[in-house]
Amino acid sequence: MENILEVKNLSKKYTEFELKNISFELPKGMIMGFIGENGAGKTTTIKSILNIIGNYKGEVKVFGLDNKNDEREIKEDIGVVLDDMFFPEILLPKDINTIMKDVYKKWDSDLYFKYLTDFNLPKDKQIKTYSKGMRKKLEIATALSHHPKLLILDEPTSGLDPIARNEVIDIFRDFIQNEECGVLLSSHITTDLEHIADYITFINNGEIILSKTKDELIEQYGIVKCTESEFKKIDNQDYIKYKKTKYECELLVENKNEFKKKYNVNTIDKISLEDLMVLMVKGEK
Amino acid sequence: MLGLIKKDFLMLKGNFKTWLILLFVYIVMAFQESMSLTFLLPFMCVVTMLSTFSYDSYNKWDAYVCSLPDGRKNSVRAKYIATLLLVFVTVLITTILTIIISYYRTNTVNLSSIGESIFGAIFATTLLQSIMYPAIYKYGVEKARITIFIVIFGTALVGGVLSKYIDFEFIIQRLVFLEKYIMIIIPVVIVVMVYISYRISEAIYKRKEY
Repeated sequence: MENILEVKNLSKKYTEFELKNISFELPKGMIMGFIGENGAGKTTTIKSILNIIGNYKGEVKVFGLDNKNDEREIKEDIGVVLDDMFFPEILLPKDINTIMKDVYKKWDSDLYFKYLTDFNLPKDKQIKTYSKGMRKKLEIATALSHHPKLLILDEPTSGLDPIARNEVIDIFRDFIQNEECGVLLSSHITTDLEHIADYITFINNGEIILSKTKDELIEQYGIVKCTESEFKKIDNQDYIKYKKTKYECELLVENKNEFKKKYNVNTIDKISLEDLMVLMVKGEK
Repeated sequence: MLGLIKKDFLMLKGNFKTWLILLFVYIVMAFQESMSLTFLLPFMCVVTMLSTFSYDSYNKWDAYVCSLPDGRKNSVRAKYIATLLLVFVTVLITTILTIIISYYRTNTVNLSSIGESIFGAIFATTLLQSIMYPAIYKYGVEKARITIFIVIFGTALVGGVLSKYIDFEFIIQRLVFLEKYIMIIIPVVIVVMVYISYRISEAIYKRKEY
C-alpha cells in the first residue's frame, strides 16, 4: 500500500523537551489517530511535518516528496487545522475566501460557501463573534476547500458539541473514500478516533510508543482485572503496564489470547483508547 | 502573496471611519494653515499597520501562515508591500489635497515646498517602519514598542553626549552643499533603508519558530 505520509527518525531538541526518533507511516485511504497526553509532542510533530518549526533531524515525506525541498508543491495539497492558530478574528468568513483564492491554486469558493451554509456559519460576521465550536467548523471548512489530498488536523473536534462532532467525523470519513487521500488526526477525544481511525499512533514524552492498526489494537490488547495475590503470580513479561486500585489490579496485556492460555483466564476486557492512554502513561511496570 | 496583502487590507477595513475623520482634520488644518500636517496620514498608515501585527500575534497567525503554500516566504514581503502601498496611496491623497488647498488659498502652488514636506513625511514613516518591523518580528509587538523607545531615547542620549565633543553645526555647514541634491538623496535613502529593514525582518522570520 502506498504511503501518503512517512515520518522517519524525526528528532527535535528543546531545553526541557525532546522529540526522539519519531517514525510512522500513513497509507493512502486511511485515517491515523495521533494520541498522547498534553505536552507529549503531538503538536511539535505536526509543526515539524509542516515546517512551521525547523532545525529538526530526520526525514518527512508527503506524497513521496521531501517536505523541505518540495514544500510549495506539497502544501498545495494539504489541508490544515491547527490548535488555536488561525486567521485574525477581526476578519469575516467571506474575507477568508477573498484571501485564500490567491493562496491556493485549487481554492474552490463554491465549495467553501457550501461548507459555511452546511455548518450554519454566517459569512458576514466577524470571526470573534463566533463560538468556539463555530470557529472550529470554520477552520475545518477552510482546510477542506482547496480539495486537499492530505488533512493534518490538530484537535479538530475540540469545542464541538456531539452533533457537530458527528457531522465533522462524517466529512472526514467521506474525505478518504476515494482511497487517494489520508488524514492525520490528533485528538484528545479518543471516542472520535475509535469511530473513524484506521491506525492509532501513540506518542508519550516525545517518543512513539505504539503505532498499529486500530483493529490490531482491539483484537490483541486487553485489560486483565485481578486481585493482588493473583497479580503476584503473573510474570512481568506478560503485561505492558499495571495499575493498582484499592480493590483490584488492572493489567494492560499485548496479546490477549496468549495470556488467556497461559494463565487460564476466561475473560479479558476489551480495551478502549482511553484505557490504553491512561495505563500506558500512568501505569507502572 | 497577493492573498496575504489582501489580508492586511481587509484587516484595516474597520479603521475606515477613523481615516475619514483624520482626513477631515487634515483638510480643516490645511485650510487654516495652523500647522503642517503632511505627515499625519502616512504616519497613521504605519501606526495602523502595527495594529495588524497585534491581531496576527493574538490569533497565532504566523504559525498558521507558515502552513500555507509559500506562507513563510511571502508573509514578511506582504506586510512590507501592504504598508508601502498604503503609504503611497495616502501620500498621493495628501499631495493632491495640499495642491488643491494651496491653490484655493493663494492662487499659487509652491511645488518645491510641497515636495519637500511630502518627502519628509515619507522619510519619517518609512524610518518608523524600518525600525519597528524587524523589532516586531524579533521580539513581538509589545516588546518592540519598548525597543522603539529605547532606540529613540538612546539615540537622543548618545547625540546629546556626542554634541559635547563633536561640533555638529560645523558638520552640518559642511554638508549644506548636499541640499540641492536632497530630492534625489531622500528617495535613495528611503529605498536602501526599507530594503535593509526588509532583509533583516525576512532573515528573522525565516529562522523563527512559531
